[in-house]
Amino acid sequence: MTDPLALDPVLPPRERSAMPFNDDALGHDERFGHFEDHVVGGGKVEATDWMPDEYRTAVLRFVEMHANSELMGVLPEREWIMRAPTLRRKLALTAKVQDEVGHAQLLYRVAEDLGKPRDAMIADLLDGKTKFHNVFHYPTKSWADIGIIAWLVDAAAIVAQQALRDSSYAPYARTMKKICWEESVHIMHGRDVVVTMATGSAAQRASIQEALDRWWGPLMQMHGPRSDRAKDRDIHWRIKAKTSEELRQEFLGIYVPRILELGLTIPDADLARDPETGVWAYGEPDWNELRTVVTNHGPKSQERLDFRRQNWEATQWVRDAILGPPQAAAVA
Amino acid sequence: MTEFASFESIAMDFEGAGHERALAILLLSMADDEFVIGFSDSEWTGIGPILEEDVAISSLAQDELGHAQALYGLLAETIADGRDADGWAYDRPPEGYLHARLLDHPRGDWAATIARRYLYDTADSARLEAIAASSHAPLRELVAKIRREERYHLMHVQTWIERLADAGGESRARLLAALKAMGPDAGTVLAPLPGETALVRHGVSREPFAVMEARWRDEVGATFGRLGLPELPPTASPDRPRTDHSDAFRSLHAEFTMVRRSEVGATW
Amino acid sequence: MSPADPGVLEAWEVFRREKDGDPMRHGGSVMAPDAKLAVHYAREMYSRRQESVHLWVVRRGDIHDLADLDLLQPPLDRSFKKPGGYVMRDKLAAAREQSGQAKPKANTGHKGAR
Repeated sequence: MTDPLALDPVLPPRERSAMPFNDDALGHDERFGHFEDHVVGGGKVEATDWMPDEYRTAVLRFVEMHANSELMGVLPEREWIMRAPTLRRKLALTAKVQDEVGHAQLLYRVAEDLGKPRDAMIADLLDGKTKFHNVFHYPTKSWADIGIIAWLVDAAAIVAQQALRDSSYAPYARTMKKICWEESVHIMHGRDVVVTMATGSAAQRASIQEALDRWWGPLMQMHGPRSDRAKDRDIHWRIKAKTSEELRQEFLGIYVPRILELGLTIPDADLARDPETGVWAYGEPDWNELRTVVTNHGPKSQERLDFRRQNWEATQWVRDAILGPPQAAAVA
Repeated sequence: MTEFASFESIAMDFEGAGHERALAILLLSMADDEFVIGFSDSEWTGIGPILEEDVAISSLAQDELGHAQALYGLLAETIADGRDADGWAYDRPPEGYLHARLLDHPRGDWAATIARRYLYDTADSARLEAIAASSHAPLRELVAKIRREERYHLMHVQTWIERLADAGGESRARLLAALKAMGPDAGTVLAPLPGETALVRHGVSREPFAVMEARWRDEVGATFGRLGLPELPPTASPDRPRTDHSDAFRSLHAEFTMVRRSEVGATW
Repeated sequence: MSPADPGVLEAWEVFRREKDGDPMRHGGSVMAPDAKLAVHYAREMYSRRQESVHLWVVRRGDIHDLADLDLLQPPLDRSFKKPGGYVMRDKLAAAREQSGQAKPKANTGHKGAR
């Protein structure tokens, strides 16, 4: 069994639970079988449990990309913290971006305990070896974008995250509960910005519509192309529960009516709900654009990665200072 | 937008005689201090040196902005000219702001942020102590709440200045450079305000700023002595008007009023 | 338990009490160079929305755990230690029959029996 990431669990096994797959005396295949039965049967896995490399790697990849997305997702909104038009909006936006940094921390902690140090994950992100979600590769052009992102990007994300609260990897599932609780505030903040502008001046209304027009495509691509449930390893291991299409349908079902009730127009002539089946039809999202963007060829991919790199390098001395042993105070 | 040509005109702009005008200037200068340091600190949100610290500095920024919001609100009640807290916070030209020159320094590196936070928080703490028993009840009540939050800020910044000083090497060198750049402006937080005799006479403040400054310098001196840091210099050009701000602040002002200026009077 | 390698932030486990009277529960963990900053960061990560009234941080290496089922869930009978280990329905029925008294109505307790 090869381990593509050569991961060693950072947590010592200590006393493992008496799950059959934790029995060191068994052969690998037998352990693997017990583990698979446990997970497929709805069982939970803790960081100290034995787990096959396939599972460890799959969870790590999933959580690492999620963590990367939170960390990179900070940047498009961060630019507007300085420009927020009222004290309350500035406070709300600062708190939201702070939460995203906090979510990155929670998720990197989960990933770190699977065996990959935080510095290594950040290095891989900055080197373009690991990915982050498509929506964070686009520019934020106006204050209206801040409303659309906080409302709809976060809504699309929360649909996916709610389905992860029952993940087989228990530390991730617990983290998702905390994250979902915090994200629900972001959606309120975003919706409030959007509703305020949609009921504001003609220019504000036009600005919101323009932002929605730009973000709709990336939003529809966000959950990814339709996939075969039976072939999805992450679903097999119960790391996640829903396919991309299930998530997209759920998002459309909740949010299309809420967008339309504001008198906004969704830029997709084919968007319609089948009254019989309840299934949404929509214009085919641009999957080429998605592939281009997530491989760091999006409109802001390199600029954002450069910005992160510069800031990471510029603060390296701080990390060194707090880690190094205290030295005798030098003569001033 | 209300035009203010100079600090003196701001002072004259406030209706009411004696200590009420002085109270308004005190509130505005404190609110502007908190507003501007809150802005500088919020620039770290998303790019802090470690994730945990990123979240921490963002909380400090939010606390300071919350204090600014409350102080502007109190000012709006005091002046009652139709401007609300946001109107005070945003709708003035750069020369209408009364914050201390210490806060005109741009964000800088982490050492500059810690140095500024340390110098400001300790000075602000001396100021809050002086008005904690203020005769002006709304101010007294607000100050009690602000001090509860500032206690955490002091704990946080104390830990950091010690770490940066004790780590030696690049860390200490950066801290020394930041203190050298900001030290001469540190005392401006406690620079006298017009009408402060009226404030003391009416019990709004228990003491003039010079007394607060002396107390603050003793405290900082003790900490710096312990950490082997050079003594703080006296305030450079103490007569430079409070409304004379740096280019860094002018750029900051242009940015933070950008959306609001795009449509004057709109609801956001 | 040895401390982490020098040059690596240590993991500190955070325990939180959500409201007065609740037990401390595990919240998650933070990375910090010492206890002082660990406490600061615990506050930031686990109570910035006032969701805790009390926090503990414990260096992960200082936790000693036990998850051995033979020790925690011994295989032999321990029913005498639990209320469910005392089944006397049939015996009570026999006793009531013997004394000629009816079974008290459910959930009415002593009052109903009087």
